[in-house]
Amino acid sequence: MSYKVTEDGSIATIHLDGEIDMDVTEKAKEVIFPHIEAGKEVHLNLSNVQYMDSSGISVLIESHQKALEKNTKVIIKDVSKSVLKVIMMAKLEQILNLE
Amino acid sequence: MSETAHQDHTEKKAFLVNSSSLKEVRTFCRDVFEKLHIQQDLKDELVLAIAEAAQNIVKHAFKNSADANELMVVQISCENDKLQIAFYDRGTPVDPKKVKHRQIDNVKPGGLGTFFIQEIMDAVEFKDGKKPWINHLVLTKQL
Repeated sequence: MSYKVTEDGSIATIHLDGEIDMDVTEKAKEVIFPHIEAGKEVHLNLSNVQYMDSSGISVLIESHQKALEKNTKVIIKDVSKSVLKVIMMAKLEQILNLE
Repeated sequence: MSETAHQDHTEKKAFLVNSSSLKEVRTFCRDVFEKLHIQQDLKDELVLAIAEAAQNIVKHAFKNSADANELMVVQISCENDKLQIAFYDRGTPVDPKKVKHRQIDNVKPGGLGTFFIQEIMDAVEFKDGKKPWINHLVLTKQL
């Protein structure tokens, strides 16, 4: 998994690239969580993520819940069809902020 | 169920039991499903189910193991349009009664892998592992 972060004021945009599985979840958390802890609104762009398993979904849930605690939000953007299917299988499409 | 008959085929491969093997497991599955001409959406689901089962072996069956050389074997068989995926490992014996997913409406991290497997596959069965194996999991799906 690779990533790119751009910051614009109170918004941090994180582009993840590759497959998100158990092997990379710690790295994903290390990339995402500090921005949430800093109170930023995080825009998580998943257009280049073609595979995500339950470990990746757990990172999305944890990010969402951390953001609520910090009175901010994580917006998941440009999710690929294959990852959207997994999010829907987990019945999270109404819980996570998808755009 | 697909209208196209799939040719009978069996393939198996051994993988080191660690999280970095999961990508190799997915690649193996995708290659086999390509040979079986399984359509893309179903292929994605099957790869997810298999990868989740392999992840459970890494996370749970070998939770306390420090042996970096331990292997798990994944065997994919298709016979008369019935797909069977078998997993063999020598980790801590699995108690099938304790294998359950979290309540899906109790949103929290974790506990989804087994739910995905059950959603995607027709049957999930733990069988007695024959030596040298300890755990033998079989997933089935009618194509």
